[in-house]
Order: sequence, then structure tokens, then C-alpha cells
Amino acid sequence: MKIKLGVFFGGRSVEHEVSVITGIQAINNLDRGKYDPVPIYMARDGAFWTGEAAGKIEEYSDIPSLLKKCVRVVPVGREGRADLVLYPPKRFGKNIYDTLDAALPAVHGTNVEDGALQGFFRTIGLPFAGCDVEASALGMDKYAMKILFAAGGLPVLPGVKLRARDFAADPETMLDEIKGKTGWPAIIKPFDMGSSVGIRIAENREEARDALEYAFSFSPAAVAERAIINLREINCAVLGDADEARASECEEPVSSGMILSYEDKYVSGGKDGASKGMTGLKRLLPAPIPPEMREKARALAVEAFKALDCAGVARIDFLLDSDSGELYINEINTIPGSLAFYLWQPLGLSYSELLDEMVRLALKRERERDERSFSIDTGILKHYSGQGSKGSKR
Amino acid sequence: MISDLFYAILGVCFLFCMTMLLIRSLHIFQLNSYKPAVQRKWVADNIFEWLIKTVWVVLALPAAKELGSFGFVFAAAPFLLVGLLWLPKKAKKPLVYTGRVKRLIFTLALICLACVLIGALEAGSRAKICIVMVFIALAAPYAVLAANFINRPVEKAINNRFINDAKRIIRDMPGLIVIGVTGSYGKTSVKFILGKLLTAGYETLVTPESYNTTLGVVRTVRERLRATHEIFICEMGARNPGDIREICDIVKPRCGVITSIGPQHLESFGTIENVIKTKFELADALPGDGVLFYNADNAYAAGRRVENAATVGYGTENGDWRASEISASARGTEFTVTGPDGVRMRLSTRLLGRHNVLNITGAVAAAVYLGVPVSDISAQVRRLDPVLHRLQLLGAPPRLIIDDAFNSNPEGAGAALETLSMFEGLHILVTPGMVELGKRQYELNRVFGEQAARVCDFVALVGEKQTQPILDGLRLAGFPEASVRVCDTLEEAIAAADAFRQGTPRVILLENDLPDNY
Repeated sequence: MKIKLGVFFGGRSVEHEVSVITGIQAINNLDRGKYDPVPIYMARDGAFWTGEAAGKIEEYSDIPSLLKKCVRVVPVGREGRADLVLYPPKRFGKNIYDTLDAALPAVHGTNVEDGALQGFFRTIGLPFAGCDVEASALGMDKYAMKILFAAGGLPVLPGVKLRARDFAADPETMLDEIKGKTGWPAIIKPFDMGSSVGIRIAENREEARDALEYAFSFSPAAVAERAIINLREINCAVLGDADEARASECEEPVSSGMILSYEDKYVSGGKDGASKGMTGLKRLLPAPIPPEMREKARALAVEAFKALDCAGVARIDFLLDSDSGELYINEINTIPGSLAFYLWQPLGLSYSELLDEMVRLALKRERERDERSFSIDTGILKHYSGQGSKGSKR
Repeated sequence: MISDLFYAILGVCFLFCMTMLLIRSLHIFQLNSYKPAVQRKWVADNIFEWLIKTVWVVLALPAAKELGSFGFVFAAAPFLLVGLLWLPKKAKKPLVYTGRVKRLIFTLALICLACVLIGALEAGSRAKICIVMVFIALAAPYAVLAANFINRPVEKAINNRFINDAKRIIRDMPGLIVIGVTGSYGKTSVKFILGKLLTAGYETLVTPESYNTTLGVVRTVRERLRATHEIFICEMGARNPGDIREICDIVKPRCGVITSIGPQHLESFGTIENVIKTKFELADALPGDGVLFYNADNAYAAGRRVENAATVGYGTENGDWRASEISASARGTEFTVTGPDGVRMRLSTRLLGRHNVLNITGAVAAAVYLGVPVSDISAQVRRLDPVLHRLQLLGAPPRLIIDDAFNSNPEGAGAALETLSMFEGLHILVTPGMVELGKRQYELNRVFGEQAARVCDFVALVGEKQTQPILDGLRLAGFPEASVRVCDTLEEAIAAADAFRQGTPRVILLENDLPDNY
């Protein structure tokens, strides 16, 4: 008997296409001796589609045509698994396309990586890999993350949270605030977007004004931080959960401009121009940093992972100030592109083994959840007469 | 032709009547667990009620005989009447239309339809057919047995298919660790305790409730085992030699637990030697690298040599794993478990009773062997839930209650008294006595009274007549008269228990609850 693992990718997110790559890569690397992967493509309107064609990367060059080869389903929870029920249902015959034992979310960005999809699985009772709802939500909020890390004594750059509404009402005060708190140059980014979308560096007040307009076009809030002038970026992944977490090798992604752009990350591919996701990005792996710096980054990565109570595999992105030698945590990615498998290969952990571990952790979490009791028979429904105007919660 | 029409009316009414009668007979058969012997006994016990509603069909005979072809219409009337008398009523436990029931319906339908059709085709035989119809209607509960007999080869083939399916599923999961649990008593408790301990580290499946027959195990494997499961704890019950070997052939256990061996089901086993031999079929089925965990305090279990696998004993007096320093309080039971290689843990559980300490020790031994960390074991033991009404600890100091209402046997009652003695404070017993003990009812209740005298400070008996033997036992042991109260109701007895030496902390044991018809 093989474990039926639903791999979910796509979704109503800016990073929809990248997620398709992550999802299909994962499917191709699952141990077929242990798993029966079920590809589930989430279309831009939120519908779930599945079928053999959904697992083939070449089909995604023409999505309308792909959908004709797929069936639309709705995952319905049943006894700790999920039935994929055909939608619309057939009049005659079986309406359950398949039954999943667990889910692997391979989604990126707002509306999917931020706890929305995780919350859905938790509601229907299906075990799922990766971070739980709370860690996913925090991991998507650049400002909340920053405060939590700072509270845990982890090094972060001081930042300020800015709201689009305030900018519309009084831009000058906001620009003064940025000048006061972070100074120039400042980096301005939407507070909840992934993959470097909407990020600009502002060298002066006018550039900051433009940068804020740009950021607020993506999100109702933004974060401004001091921009490091001689910046290097170091990434490190962590695998595990609150009980057991270990760090991967460190990499230094290489950019074309001052910061890695969306184009850098996902459009620059191999010679044939085909996009390979994070694997196609130019990178230095292992990162050319001294061993003490490597160990420091790896240790900080694990602390950051635990500070947010993460699970599965997450990638922690650091900012290295070449001038001062200081390492700062930039952000955590709770579902990294390509699940950061390439960061584990140097340590001898294959992609297949990485996925195995993620599924094991997912089942462990669900087991522990089941052990907690969630209902106490208070009998209030038996005695509630429905006539009081004050309700029953004191 | 008119007579064909009248015969058709008779046919329809007959089929209607048979449908009602057979649904009811099938329902009874299902409630009797599809056992022919039980069905026959049911008919014997209920023959009067059955005939009162059914005998009217014989009126069809004179109608058919005397009135010629017109008679068939009048013959239809008794069948219609009886059918209406047997319209299904709302039942507490309705008939479940399982595959087996549907197959029985098919066979019964064939019999009835064949009967009607012969008469339809051969007008001359219709009078004789009428006689057959009356006969079938009167013998409906036996008709079900006949259909059951006819269906036997089909049922056997289906069962074999299910068994082979279960074997295939187990073969398809080579990494699954199967642990067999058997014993004359304690196997359901040990199974659930072990399941709770192992779930700390593994995806664990446990056979549900008390599904411990071959078909129950097969059903569990086919319906509940999933690809994600890592451990399968399989309870194995036996009534006859070979029963356990049959289950082991299907699930291929890697480890085994023998919780106890005693003189149970001797009607089918014959001798205690057969009981021992059968339980040890589990040990025989283990592979060379398997382990048998056994109750070292039980002489029968400890006395048998096992050559083909490793053995680990557990107990309170003997064994590699030993439970000691047992004490009971309002929080439950605390005890120390020591094992090989200097392992030592102090455990705390809400379960009561020396037998539960023993059960937990056995489960701990197996859990440690399977790699569950000691800290997790300790946490899980704390989380064990007591079974409702089985030595269930209720209340709070200074008034604790041990609710043992579901106990129904003398050993359990004795163990409950022993548990009571472990507590501090006044020991009070409230009981209506034990019933359904056949010839030994007086003797066993009297012995219970003698045991109570040694442990209790006060005894409140419910129901003068049935607790007389207990009173006799108390007196025989010299228990002071002033410390006994005979009451009419449970409420009275509890009030008396509370009133005795009011103010002093106490523990009240509620032993046995009688079913409503006593």
C-alpha cells in the first residue's frame, strides 16, 4: 500500500507559476516505492483540478487545454483523510476520484503560503507537510516576523510599518518618519509579498515617494528598513519541527542589480531560457564565507525557525553587511522555492529523503494533535433554552 | 382466466406475508449472531407469540380446498391478514442490510417465488402449492436457517476471499510491525494501553472494541489499515485450539504479548493444557528476531518454554520488568517500573487496580523495546483514560468513589476490594450482589462477603433477598452487625454510606449494577 500524497500547487497568488514548478519538481522526486503522488493544481480562481496531465510540466504552457484533460474536485475530510469529490458530481457512478492520506503544499505567496491553505487542511482534518497555520501567517508578515525575532534576541534591522491609508492622507509625515527611523538609503517592501515582488531601494526622499507608491500598489501595508550599502545575501534552510531542527548548507544567491529581483529569481534560466525556478538562479553553493560565519548563520537559522514554531522545511534569508561584518535576519520563507532541496544535497540528503522527512513530520504533528482533547462535555446545549438575551458565554 | 387472476392475488398476498415474516425472522437471526442453535432456542422460547400471530394462515387451506378456483381469493385473505400483523415496528436495533443479509434475502426470495411460479404455470398443482405456502409461512424462522445452510458455500467462499485480501494487504506492507496480544483476560486492556504508549512515536492501528476473532481482524485490516500505519496491534481471541494460529497466519506478527492464562472457555477448550497450547500459538508464530512479552506472575504463562524467539517477562513479583512501590490516592495509582540495563521510572496513572499496574508494566516493556523514549512513555501513562464504570475513580477527597458498576465476575469483585484496600481513609462497600452465577451464586456471593469483611469498615447492601449470601459471609467472618446496613435502593445505601462516621475521609466502592429486570 502506498501513501497517497496530494501535492498542491498554483493558487490565487502572484507566485502562481513558480509554484507549479516547485510542485511538479516535488512530484518527480517522490519515492514511488512509498508514495502515490496525486497532483492537484489550484487554478487562479481557486478551483482544484487533478488528473494525470496535471503532473506534467509541459502541459502548463497551455492551461485552458490542460484543464480540459483534468477533472475538477473538492477535497472533503473523512476520518483523517480527504476524499477528492468530483465537482460537479456525476449522476451515475462513483463520485470520489481518489482519497488522500496527506497533503504537501507546494504553494508560494499570499492567499496560499500565508496559512490560508494550511487552515483549510486543518479544518478538514487532513495531515499536511510544512508549517502550521500560525507559523505560516507570521512567516508571511515581514513586520510581525521582525518583532518576534527581535523579541527573541535575534539580529534584525530596525524597521517601521507603514500603511497605504496613512500615505494617502499625509505622505510627507510618512517620509519624515522613514528619514528619522531608518535614514537613506532605505529599502521599501510590501509587508506580505514573497519573492521580492514590489521591492525598491530609495536613495532619497523622492525615490522613497515612488517606492512607496509602488509597494502600496501590491499591498495595504509596507515595511521600510535601512538599506545595507555593501550587501551580500546568505540563505540557509532548516528542516524539522519544534523538537528537532537542523540546518542545511549556506548559499549566496547572485543578483544582477542591487537586490535580487523577481526576474533574477525566476526568469533567468539555463541556456535554453527554460525557467527552472530557484534551481536556475545563479548561486554560489556553498556560500564563500568563513567557517565561523557559516556556523553562525546556521545556528541563527535554527533559532529563527524555532522562534516562529515552524515545521517542515523553511529557508531563512540573511543580510550580510560586508562593511561591518554583521549578519541580520531578513526574512523566513515557510515554503521556499523548490523546497530548497539543493541546499540539502551538499549534506548528503537527497530530495526524496527530504520529502520523506516532511511527510513523517506531518503525520507526527497530526498524531500529537489527536492526543489533545478538544471537547469537554459541559452540557450547555442541553440546558440552553434560547430565551435569554445575554447569551451563554460569561 | 378468472382462476388465474385469483391465483395471482393469492400469490401476491403470499409474497407480501412472507416478506413481513422473513424480514422479522432475518432480523432475529442477525440479533442471534447468525447462530442456528441460538435461533432454534429463540423459536422454542417464543413459540407462543409467534403462533398467535401466524397460525391464521392455516385458514387458507379450507378456503382453497372447498371453494375451488374461487377459493384462492379467499385463501389470500389469511396471508394478507398475517402479513399486516407482522408489519415491521420501529426497533431499538434495526435490521442492518449487510451483504450476508442480502444474500439470504435472495435465496429466500428464490424459494418463495419458485413456489408461486410453479403454481402459476401448472394450474393443477395449485391446491398442493397452497399447502406448501402455509407450511413455509408457519416455518419462516426455520426457512431462514434453510437459506443460511444453502448459502454456506457462498459465504465460505466470500470469507476466504476476505481472508486472502487481508493477507495480501499485510504482504503489501512489509515495513509494518504487527504485535499480537492474547490472554485469558486483560488482552483488551493491554491492547489499548500499549496503543496509547506507542502512538507517542508511531502511526498505530489497534483492533477496535473487542474485535478479536479471525473475521473481526480481517475486517480491521481491510477497512482500517492505511499505508501510513507503522504498527498494528492485533488482539487475538480464541475459543478453540487453532484459532490463534489462524489469525497469526493472516497478520504475521513480529512481537507478541501474553497477558494471562486461566480456566476460561473450558467448555470448548476442554483442559487448561489446551488453553496454554492455544495461547502459545502466538509465540510459535513469531519470527526468529521477534519477541514475546509475557506475564511472569502467571504460572501458566511463565511455565512454558519458548525456543523460536526471545522472551521478556513482566510482573509485580517476577520478570525482567518489575512493578513495585504501588500506592493509590485520589489522583489514581503511582508505581515504580524497573527494567533491564538499570532502567527505572516512576509512573502515575488514573487507572486503578493491581491488574492495571501489571498491564501497564507489560505495555511499557514493549514500548521501550520499540524505541519509545522514557519521557514519552511517562507522559502517555499519565494520559491513560479509565474505562467507564470499571474501577473508575470519581469524586474528590474527603469522599472518593470507585465506580465498578460494570464488573460482573467474582475475580473482578475480589480485585476491586483489593484496590479499595490500597486507599487511605474509611473503606466502604455498596453493592447489590452478583447475579447470573448459576449454581454457584450463593457460594460466590458469600465468599465476596467474607473478603469484604477483611477490607471494609462499613457495608451497605442493596436488596435484602439477593444480598443475603453476602450478609452471611460477613457474619461468618465476624464483621460487626452495626457496620452493615441492608437497604432497598441504591440511593438509600449511598446515604447510609455517607452517614457512617460522618466527617471522616472515606472511599466508597460501588460494586456491580444490576440490570433493570432484577
